[in-house]
Amino acid sequence: MGREKEKEKPSEKALNLLRSRLSDPNFIFRPLSDSPDSNYSKLKFIISTSVTEACNNSILLLGPRGSGKVAVLELVLSDLLQQYPEAISVIRLNGLLHSDDNCALKEIARQLCMEHQLLFSKVASFDDNSQFMIAMLRECGLAHKTIIFVLDEFDFFAQGKQRLLYSLLDAMQSVNSQAVVIGVSCRLDVDQLLEKRVRSRFSHRKLLFLSPSKEDTERFMEHILSLPMDSSLPHNYAAEFNGRLKKILSDERFKELIDTYLSFNFTIGHLVRFLFQAVSYMDLNAGFLSLGNFKTALSSNQRQLKLESIRDCSVLELYMMVCMKRLEVKEQTSYNFYSVMTEYKSIHDSFQTSDYYAANVCLRAFEHLLQCQLISFIDNKGHNQSVEFRPVKLLISSAELHQGLKSYQQCPAILLKLMDR
Amino acid sequence: MATEESPQVTRRATRSYSASNTAIESTNLPESYKPTINDLGFRQQPLRLEDLLSSFPGRRSQILELLRLLGPLNSPMFPILVYGGPSTGKTSVTLQVFRHLNRPFIYSSCITCYSPRILFESILNQLLFHRKDSGHSYSSVKRCERPSDFVNYLREALENVLTNLKGNSGKVSSKMSGRPDGTMVYLVFDNLERIRDWDKSSTILPFLFNLNDILKMPEVGLIFISNTSPDTYYLNIGYVEPIPLYFPDYTEGDLRHIFMANQTNSRLYASFLDVVLRPFCRVTRQVDELAAAFSSLFKKYSEPLSDKEVAPNEEMKRRLFSHIRPHIASALNETFQVRSQPLLKAETNEETKKTNSSRMLGIREDFDKIDFHMSTSAKYLLISAFLASRNPATLDASLFDSTGVSDSRKRKRKASEKSMDQKEMAEQELLMKGPGTFPLERLLAIFQCITSLAEDSLDEEESHELTVEGGSRGLMSDVLLQLSSLCNANFIIKGGSCPLEGSTRYRTAVSEDLALKVARSLKFPLSKYLYRR
Repeated sequence: MGREKEKEKPSEKALNLLRSRLSDPNFIFRPLSDSPDSNYSKLKFIISTSVTEACNNSILLLGPRGSGKVAVLELVLSDLLQQYPEAISVIRLNGLLHSDDNCALKEIARQLCMEHQLLFSKVASFDDNSQFMIAMLRECGLAHKTIIFVLDEFDFFAQGKQRLLYSLLDAMQSVNSQAVVIGVSCRLDVDQLLEKRVRSRFSHRKLLFLSPSKEDTERFMEHILSLPMDSSLPHNYAAEFNGRLKKILSDERFKELIDTYLSFNFTIGHLVRFLFQAVSYMDLNAGFLSLGNFKTALSSNQRQLKLESIRDCSVLELYMMVCMKRLEVKEQTSYNFYSVMTEYKSIHDSFQTSDYYAANVCLRAFEHLLQCQLISFIDNKGHNQSVEFRPVKLLISSAELHQGLKSYQQCPAILLKLMDR
Repeated sequence: MATEESPQVTRRATRSYSASNTAIESTNLPESYKPTINDLGFRQQPLRLEDLLSSFPGRRSQILELLRLLGPLNSPMFPILVYGGPSTGKTSVTLQVFRHLNRPFIYSSCITCYSPRILFESILNQLLFHRKDSGHSYSSVKRCERPSDFVNYLREALENVLTNLKGNSGKVSSKMSGRPDGTMVYLVFDNLERIRDWDKSSTILPFLFNLNDILKMPEVGLIFISNTSPDTYYLNIGYVEPIPLYFPDYTEGDLRHIFMANQTNSRLYASFLDVVLRPFCRVTRQVDELAAAFSSLFKKYSEPLSDKEVAPNEEMKRRLFSHIRPHIASALNETFQVRSQPLLKAETNEETKKTNSSRMLGIREDFDKIDFHMSTSAKYLLISAFLASRNPATLDASLFDSTGVSDSRKRKRKASEKSMDQKEMAEQELLMKGPGTFPLERLLAIFQCITSLAEDSLDEEESHELTVEGGSRGLMSDVLLQLSSLCNANFIIKGGSCPLEGSTRYRTAVSEDLALKVARSLKFPLSKYLYRR
């Protein structure tokens, strides 16, 4: 039986190509970093001068999430590693993982050992690791090798006693060491979080990563979504793809769409995610991107989540929420399951609704509302009370509830009447 | 597991059970089974797209969207968050999509992995093809508690698996050898909302959502499945959100399709659904709850029919409807009740003897019986706890004086309006506060009063008989042991300690209905002792 290899359609190849491009931060940020006054060039200049002139340095990279701080840093480091292969070694730490000092020093020791092919012992103590690090710094300084410490999520390292930061920066003060400390953070005021003794040892260099201008964004989108002419794709297919893409990008509706999206999420990272979604929705049979793809991607990002939750509720749960709303209107600030049940009973008595169920059924509906987070307990401490007695509060406003009831299929008219009162 | 005779109880396969490959082949794999790379994919027959779409009615658009987001073979992806209400098919759709695509994936659920350590170790076990067995005393392959260790081990394990997969992809076509396709590995995290209740949730949730950025491996895809919507995950640090995929609740038409599948007599079941689906959908639209309610109701519906295979015509439908109608209302009020085993067996035994009219009585009788076993002293303890929570402490002396039950009827005065308002406020306060707390000594005092009364009545009835055991000794023994069992069963809740004396206080957690049922089974006049304002 011979192997059946399906001939890959050109549209599939194009889809693969675009998806891999959009998931690769190097490809995305290189064209944005070409100009001489970009952050890439500044950063490269700073680090390369520290390497060549054998001095210590520290710098902070700040900017909202998704603006490419780590991506640009990685570009710089890869370029420098090519330029000076023996003179640089990089240690990478992440605040989410290594905010504890023991953990951080262990990780530093492990990475140093891996770089220099030494044996790493897992049972080394904190003091052993810190002495090892200081010794390595001295040795590397004597050998004219710069150690670059990349501290991602820097604000996590600035919590607590900041021992690691202090020991790192302090070790840099000695004459022999050659180290560069690069902090990356989303908090723009992270240097205010540093203690006085740490801040005094920190050079106050900051690089701000801001979102690119509108023209740059448009150029960027065109560059990243256009198929290359000289790849394995058939030439006329690629040409037509690019032509259609140009037409979409210059369309007014598309510009409006992008503006709407970017007004909420204005970083490159978010834009790339949006483009990824749009590209995934591409119709493989037609083989070209269409405006509809982008529209679908936008609408899937603009969901009204509480409204969806309300639409998923059953009629009994709607009754319970309306009862709670009425209790709030009656100035009863805290209510629990039993007070809601009395209100439910009074509604049934006055209006003779057909939806009157026993307490255990209503309790289950109540628990379902808790699970969807449409209501929640007021405090988390009351664990020695059963669910029926703990006070709860509604997590949606009356306007949202009203809108949800109106858009609910077959909503009982009585509920709308009760809400309108 | 012993086979059960009662046909109503069917064992639903849990998700991890059906996701694990070992369960699919045969009942028991030998102890020395060593998992290999083929275990990362589904080992059943691959599924065609049409079969996949037809086995999930109402989920066509979600399946297609998931397939588009996962993309063609070896194409990197952004993390996806699949969310929707419970029992909407999120996990089953995700798993069956992976079966259709035949790609390697690692599944872990945050219900079975209830702490970070267990979660990390379960993922590493699957990636390193380690199965816990008695040889290593059921230990995992690596001990991993912290996220930093997890990332390092995960990188190593993933490199191994990926080189393995890359080596395989050059060889014989995978459709014939049962190997999973492609060079990407997908990690599926199910029941993500449980992590919010963990102690370490403030570090684990940001870690998981940023795992894609931390790992920086394009050959790894992350899929999160959650019962709650994305806005319930509040993180201080922010993250680029995963791509959301929403599974709305089923509409009535979809529910009808789901229930009609695999029915032997579809016309009969269709007429049954016409009757019951709409009223039950007003209470709940979740498939598992409706299935439990419908199964018992369908038996009642098809009772009058002698021949269960016949397709009903209009006149028969009307007869069946009038037969089932009185049962619907009571069934609605019991929608979520799961009957316990002894009661079900008793029902099936009794039904053969009883006639039609007494069957209605039988239903009402079941409401009054409690369907679990309790010893007599435990029942008395429960009643005493209920009284202690309900009545204020100052009333104990008058209610339980040594001469027996005192007549607590007060002179009835016409209630003035002010006292009615006060009564209403007091009632509301009682509702809001819930049952009160009581110390252990008060509980034991009430218990002793009640049981001594019980023996007195017992002695009066059987005064000529010499009870050798001595009722009081029998009831008073092991009271503290009974108390701790009741606490563990959540009938009594142990509260915080009293600030003045330092002793622990207890609170009852049973409803008045249950207390009345228990009292009735002991023939104890509970209502005489209850304090009513």
